[in-house]
Amino acid sequence: MNGVQDMGGMHNMGPIVHEANEPVFHEEWERRAFAMLLLCLGGGHYNLDMARRAIELMPPAEYLDTSYYEHWMHGLEVLMAEDGSLTREEIDARVAQLAAAGVH
Amino acid sequence: MGAHHHHAPPSDVRIRVRAIESLLLEKGLVDSAAMDKIVETFEKDIGPRRGAEVVAHAWTDPEYRKRLLENGTAAIGEFGYTGLQAEEMIVVEDTPKVHNMVVCTLCSCYPWTVLGLPPVWYKSAPYRSRVVIDPRGVLKEFGVTLPESTEIRVWDSNSELRYMVLPMRPEGTEGLSEEALAELITRDSMIGTGLPKTPAEVAA
Amino acid sequence: MPTVPVEMIDPLVAHGAPARMNVDAPTRFKVGAVIHARNINPLHHTRLPRYIRGRQGTVVRDCGVFILPDTHAHGLGPCPERLYCVRFESRELWGDDADTRNAVYITLWDRYIDD
Repeated sequence: MNGVQDMGGMHNMGPIVHEANEPVFHEEWERRAFAMLLLCLGGGHYNLDMARRAIELMPPAEYLDTSYYEHWMHGLEVLMAEDGSLTREEIDARVAQLAAAGVH
Repeated sequence: MGAHHHHAPPSDVRIRVRAIESLLLEKGLVDSAAMDKIVETFEKDIGPRRGAEVVAHAWTDPEYRKRLLENGTAAIGEFGYTGLQAEEMIVVEDTPKVHNMVVCTLCSCYPWTVLGLPPVWYKSAPYRSRVVIDPRGVLKEFGVTLPESTEIRVWDSNSELRYMVLPMRPEGTEGLSEEALAELITRDSMIGTGLPKTPAEVAA
Repeated sequence: MPTVPVEMIDPLVAHGAPARMNVDAPTRFKVGAVIHARNINPLHHTRLPRYIRGRQGTVVRDCGVFILPDTHAHGLGPCPERLYCVRFESRELWGDDADTRNAVYITLWDRYIDD
């Protein structure tokens, strides 16, 4: 697919920002996203090529405006829904439940 | 991408991750201890020190250097550092005439078990888009200026082969131990966006 | 589906998910062969980026036989194919203004290469 991921040679993406002494993860949710994508992969719900395909299905503007682990979470949702393991409705309902309970 | 080096996610990302995690745990699709363990492995146990150890050994042992360049997977395997996202390793050698740089333009492939998880800039659109068309400009942004006559080879990691650069050993490091040499070898020098430090820079 | 237990993390990290396949596949090109990447625009997943399509390069390494992402990404099986590492000169990719010395090295599965 001639998707937004295929960016080799594009101009005007901005400066390369190099962070000194960068931590492995910046936030706790990144740790959880990393672990979930790999464990569901390891559990055989999908393979690595499927994970890349799922990420490439993100709307282009959203892909460019989100971070690496947000891409991963998008991919995980797509793949677990394809697999029938976890639906978007279930996730939306749980988000609403957590929000109502004051979790943020 | 905003003013920050990494996109600051809205709180709905955090809550969504929590929602998904709680559902996967309830359904028994992921195990909580396994989640903690894989995070800990990549946060605490694995990092660019591994690659630096390999490079320092190659700098001091010509036979090992030969093996490393001929069959990176086997030679890095001697250290036990091949693995997830470094199942197949190719090591490319810098010389006075050739400088190597590694990228993955299509996603963010990187030799995880040899160099650790990649930095944000490596995964970012600015680096992925630009290094193949303007490697010299990218190097300049990293503060590296090479002679005009140097050939720059950019390795686009589009398959399951993973690359590591074997940088040149800095002058004035004769007699240093492998441990001392490893201190000179930065992560960026093994990606190709930097050069090893000099002993003076380490002391500073 | 099995749930990955904590004891499996060390083996998972140490062994990964190898994409090399221990099967034979035809060798169409030898090291040194001058080839063209195909100009294709598939709607499916592919690992042949646009900046390489239609360009001429030189085979520098026969990497062996690997899973083909184009099918594997869609659950259509591994379709083992030979993978070649190919050097593309910067001028071939980016035109006459590009540096005369620089090059991009990328791998191409057999079907990404023109006959």
